[in-house]
Amino acid sequence: MIALATEVLVIGGGTTGAGVAWDAALRGFDVILVERGDLAEGTSGRFHGLLHSGGRYVVKDPRAARECIAENRLLRRVAADCIEDCGGLFVTTPWDDPAYAEQFLAGCAAAGVDCDEIPVAQALREEPRLHPQISRAFRVPDAAIDVWKTVSALAEGARRSGARILTRHEVRALSGAGDTVTGALVHDLRRGEDVAIEARVTVNAAGAWAGQIAALAGIEGVHVRPGRGIMIAMNHRLVQQVVNRCQMPTDGDILVPIRTVSVIGTTDEHTENPDDHTVPPAEVDSMLDEGEKLVPGFRQARALRVWTGVRPLFQDGKVPALATRDLTRAHALLDHRQRDGVGGLITITGGKLTTFRLMAQQTVDLVCWMLSRMRPCATGSTPLPGSESGEHHRLGERLARKEATLRERQIVCECELVSRERLEAVLDETETTEIDDLRRRLRLGMGPCQGGFCSYRAAGIMHARGSLPVARADQALTDFLKERWKGIWPVLYGDQLRQMRFDEWVFHAVLDVEHLPADGGAS
Amino acid sequence: MSELAELAALRGTLDHCVKCTICESTCPVAAVTPLFPGPKYAGPQAERYRVAGQPSVDLSVDYCSGCGICSQVCPQGVKIAELNAQARHAMKAQRGVPVRDRIITRPELLGRLGTPVAEIANRALGSRALRTAGERLLGVHRDAPAPRFAGRRFSAWARAHQSQAGRRRVVYFHGCGTEYYEPWEGERVVAVLEHNGLEVVVPKQGCCGLPQQSSGLFDDARHSVLALARALEPYLADPATVIVGNATSCTLMLKREAREILGLEQDPVLARVAERTYDICELLLELHQAGELETDLQPLRETVAYHAPCQQQGHGIGKPALDLLALIPGLKVRELDARCCGIAGTYGLKAEKYEIAMAVGADLFAQARESRAATVACDSETCRWQITHGTGLPSSHPIDYLYRSYGLDEV
Amino acid sequence: MRGSLRSDVVVIGAGSAGLTAAIRLAQAGAQVTVIAKGAGSTQLAPGWIDVAGYMPGERAPLASARRGIERLSARRPDHPYALIGVQAVSDALGWLLATVAAGPLSGYTYHGGLDVNMRLVTALGGLRPSACAPITFTAGEAAGLRRVAIVGVPALRDFHPRLCADNLRAAGIEASAHSVALDLRRADASALELARALDDTRARRAFAASLAAVVGSSDAVGLPAILGLREAPAVHSELQERLGRPVFEIPTLPPSVPGMRLYEILGHALRSAGGRLVLGAGVVSHERSGDLVTRIDTATAGSPSGYEAECYVLASGGFHSGALELDSRWQARETVLGLPLSGLPREGAPRFVHDYFDEQPFSRVGVAVDADLRSMGAQNVFVAGASLPGAVPWREGSGEGIALASGYRVAELVAAELGATPAPQSSGAAAPAEGVGPDERAG
Repeated sequence: MIALATEVLVIGGGTTGAGVAWDAALRGFDVILVERGDLAEGTSGRFHGLLHSGGRYVVKDPRAARECIAENRLLRRVAADCIEDCGGLFVTTPWDDPAYAEQFLAGCAAAGVDCDEIPVAQALREEPRLHPQISRAFRVPDAAIDVWKTVSALAEGARRSGARILTRHEVRALSGAGDTVTGALVHDLRRGEDVAIEARVTVNAAGAWAGQIAALAGIEGVHVRPGRGIMIAMNHRLVQQVVNRCQMPTDGDILVPIRTVSVIGTTDEHTENPDDHTVPPAEVDSMLDEGEKLVPGFRQARALRVWTGVRPLFQDGKVPALATRDLTRAHALLDHRQRDGVGGLITITGGKLTTFRLMAQQTVDLVCWMLSRMRPCATGSTPLPGSESGEHHRLGERLARKEATLRERQIVCECELVSRERLEAVLDETETTEIDDLRRRLRLGMGPCQGGFCSYRAAGIMHARGSLPVARADQALTDFLKERWKGIWPVLYGDQLRQMRFDEWVFHAVLDVEHLPADGGAS
Repeated sequence: MSELAELAALRGTLDHCVKCTICESTCPVAAVTPLFPGPKYAGPQAERYRVAGQPSVDLSVDYCSGCGICSQVCPQGVKIAELNAQARHAMKAQRGVPVRDRIITRPELLGRLGTPVAEIANRALGSRALRTAGERLLGVHRDAPAPRFAGRRFSAWARAHQSQAGRRRVVYFHGCGTEYYEPWEGERVVAVLEHNGLEVVVPKQGCCGLPQQSSGLFDDARHSVLALARALEPYLADPATVIVGNATSCTLMLKREAREILGLEQDPVLARVAERTYDICELLLELHQAGELETDLQPLRETVAYHAPCQQQGHGIGKPALDLLALIPGLKVRELDARCCGIAGTYGLKAEKYEIAMAVGADLFAQARESRAATVACDSETCRWQITHGTGLPSSHPIDYLYRSYGLDEV
Repeated sequence: MRGSLRSDVVVIGAGSAGLTAAIRLAQAGAQVTVIAKGAGSTQLAPGWIDVAGYMPGERAPLASARRGIERLSARRPDHPYALIGVQAVSDALGWLLATVAAGPLSGYTYHGGLDVNMRLVTALGGLRPSACAPITFTAGEAAGLRRVAIVGVPALRDFHPRLCADNLRAAGIEASAHSVALDLRRADASALELARALDDTRARRAFAASLAAVVGSSDAVGLPAILGLREAPAVHSELQERLGRPVFEIPTLPPSVPGMRLYEILGHALRSAGGRLVLGAGVVSHERSGDLVTRIDTATAGSPSGYEAECYVLASGGFHSGALELDSRWQARETVLGLPLSGLPREGAPRFVHDYFDEQPFSRVGVAVDADLRSMGAQNVFVAGASLPGAVPWREGSGEGIALASGYRVAELVAAELGATPAPQSSGAAAPAEGVGPDERAG
């Protein structure tokens, strides 16, 4: 057993946890973050990539709208490189209540969300695929945010201020003395060792799993009702700006261009289990129908994969059950000494990705108060690593980089233009043995062929470094094939079926991946 | 559908790409130079990173010659060459077009200027010193194959020529090559058509816009092709009348490229013209299938090598010239299977691309020489000039062999 | 609409099934036109001819393809082999061997047969049970391997020698991994680019010298399949000679150099036999008269062109090539002629299952045919290759075998329909060409 000690232990490596770690580390606290999987592997990474302007909430939840626009402006400065300033439109399609548009305009004005109506013809010029019968179009400062990049940058920023980030460390128990939580017993999944971490304050930032963590301290009633939603990534950018339906929030009302793809979202279904990733065929079908309303021909366009994300919607046990979409999207910060008489433990849950920094700020303010060391928050003015120049990400960046090194750099993933150099750098840094981790860090295998070529290359490169036994390298490849398949088969039709049959041909008929001597696990 | 929506639909064909690499393997340019990273990279891959209005970052797409082989061989239906053409256009629109490209893409202007002073102009084009100066000043390679001005215009001959009323009328689209450089080619086409009982009309016509289009000058190209379509279309009142051309790349421009690449699918005049346009060999083979082609062919005791140029292959009609040449008694035909001669219209004229074009053509040149044929038949004039430049062998249109075999040269 | 071109037979698809059918029919004297949307998948294929490698659900490879054909046919009466019969498979292989031997790539030959499956090294270090393979592969037969040096080229991202060698070691073969530069002055070079480079005499000598320095005391050398395109036999034999030991190729991810060699050979055989090939011509519509297809139209530039024939061979592939399509409302269709399908999961039954390595219910879908490979939807349309239902070709290691044998068998059936007689085996091979590139046609 390894023993570690720190001031602040953060449980959860999503945007909230990484945000808390970054904030606390910037304020000079000693921080350890533990995450049971990889960074942003949970809800954060299972998201469409929208940095809200607040427009979505101006009618229904003006407070959330105000928070969004404030954070939107702030993150554009401190997380510039994680954000693509693609802009956003709200459009009234023939299926939307035309009266909503006026409410929307008034709401934007009241909440301080910049909003300009533009002529429909101009909207169609900018977005030629949009439904030609839209009747109104409004421009808002929506943007796209790359969550993997953001969480990596938060972790890196925290690290640079002395924090320790421990991925694949699962919390097994909270340790305590009397009524106070004094840290946690975690298990290092990679090395198979237990680690005891002593902490003065433990921050439960486990998102949809926060109730499970709180329960480890015997605390009941932290009901995080997971709201499961599906999102479908389309092969390329059908639109270059975020396009929202101008109506009350509903299923399939947004199309977000993020990096090389566009993502349509989302549904909202209550589930008991945050690890439930079922994709009901009926939801896929209705999402495609909604897509047709925004972009005619949506069903013929190529869907790459589908995934589910679970929103952590906080609900106090005393309030009667509601449809999850009607639960507040506001976050909840719980001081368990006040609430439950358990000291040393804070839960931060709920909320939205756009407001993660604000949530972290409020959480660490509470930490300061608990440790009686008031220190000002610096996250509003300190750029994240990589964002120092203040320049936003542009879609063409990777292409430009490749163009500058056309002959010098080997490309491993051709769809997402991942060079061998970058891959090796991430392998040096993380020592990961999972191709799926490379996917999140580098977008390797996230393009049209879904790893059809690069997963073999990545396995070969990982193995050639010497530390990965061949059976593990084979398994990394077969695990990746199995894992990606889960997100593909529920939307497997049209061009992507063509691709999968082609990939199957390469993996089976050329490589014979199913019958590797060192790997008995595939078949 | 608006032009923008059409282009969005073209972009949408990238969805069909499964990364199979067939286009990369058959691209003649990527095979000889690392400056062009290949059609899969420049086409469906890079396209996912392009945002309208943002600066072009992949200048390497300028090294695509636009030969179109990638789109022909793609088994999945990705419009690769067309995507590359769009990207080249966007790049030129942002970065400006070299004066050189503005000049060499205007065959009509050059032809009008050169024809009256053909002797001087030809001497200038043959002068090493002037060509060297031209390379330095304009970027037209000193060794690039330059046609000689004929000093007369085909249209002048056509005006003086009266076609007999026949069982069917055809509209002859002769293109700029025939007009200024090879007027005799047009005379042979007319003679062969008339020999087969067709009445030939030759409307006043201009450039199809292909050279401008392939250099990314889309607005100029649109202007040219729409004017041409409007010059030809009034002759199509009779449903049996078709347009026929001997410049295979120009007929392809009319049939398809202008509509797809320039986003002109919606132009009804161009659509009617496209539907009724034939490549000369395509039309003659169709006549033969209908039993309407004269077969009073005299033996030609010679060996000819045949090269089907990329643009001819772009028609998707196979190689009708081979079927026609096979009708000629005594003629030995050797099909050359190398894909491209390298010239790609004006690509091989450009100083920075000349060497690439010659390297692309090397296989074809070697095959032509090895074939021991006395002449090379080929459907495109710029390709013929390049083949002669690369092999020293005379090169002519397949129609010339029919012309001689019919004995029309002796009339 | 344009006029139409008449032939005896129109073959749709230029993969190995379509080309085999077309060559055989042209050799039998029929006028054959092959139309294809694009280049066929032969040039992506690994180069070996898998006939029957595995029984679905069994891990052990099949020792004999002949036995495999019998077992696959017995298990499923709708399996293509059950319709083709083992004799046609055997004849087809014999024909292929003769065609390659007589082809334009002098000295390049295929070897093997139905009785004993070879086990050939894959780029992952697997051992693929295969019935036939080119001469450049056969020294890699696992039974003969003792101490083998697996050598990669750094610029080739599609082959990783260490992964290959270490999997071979797990199979009990003493394999070592090495790397030798073949410098094209760029970080990435495809298998094809490397093969073109090795076609050059000087380059391959230098390569041989670098190889000699690393292969040590191994008794065989395995390399990615880059040993020359036009000069493959020379490159292969020269390396063997200079290294003083057998050398074999291992197929890489596409592009596949051995696949391109085979495509070249088949294309040459088609031209020599007088067949026509039209690329870039996807079928857009067709006409029927009762049970017969009378004309098909392809998307030629300008407006569609027609093709008329007595019989049509549909060899357009499966879902991978777009010949079959599943739409977002889960309706499957044959895209070329709209022919009826078979092998579809029952309404409401799963199309795909959650585990990638389990058999996917949807994978046996194909064009419904009778015992004579005739479409159930049109009397004069015969079906060959991956369009056929009933097999899981890549997982059972039968893809190339089905393509080749069904193309061969369809040619026999169509020839009978036309009243032509397929040429006997001995003259089945293409006549030797005069030069390397040019083909001759006498007028």
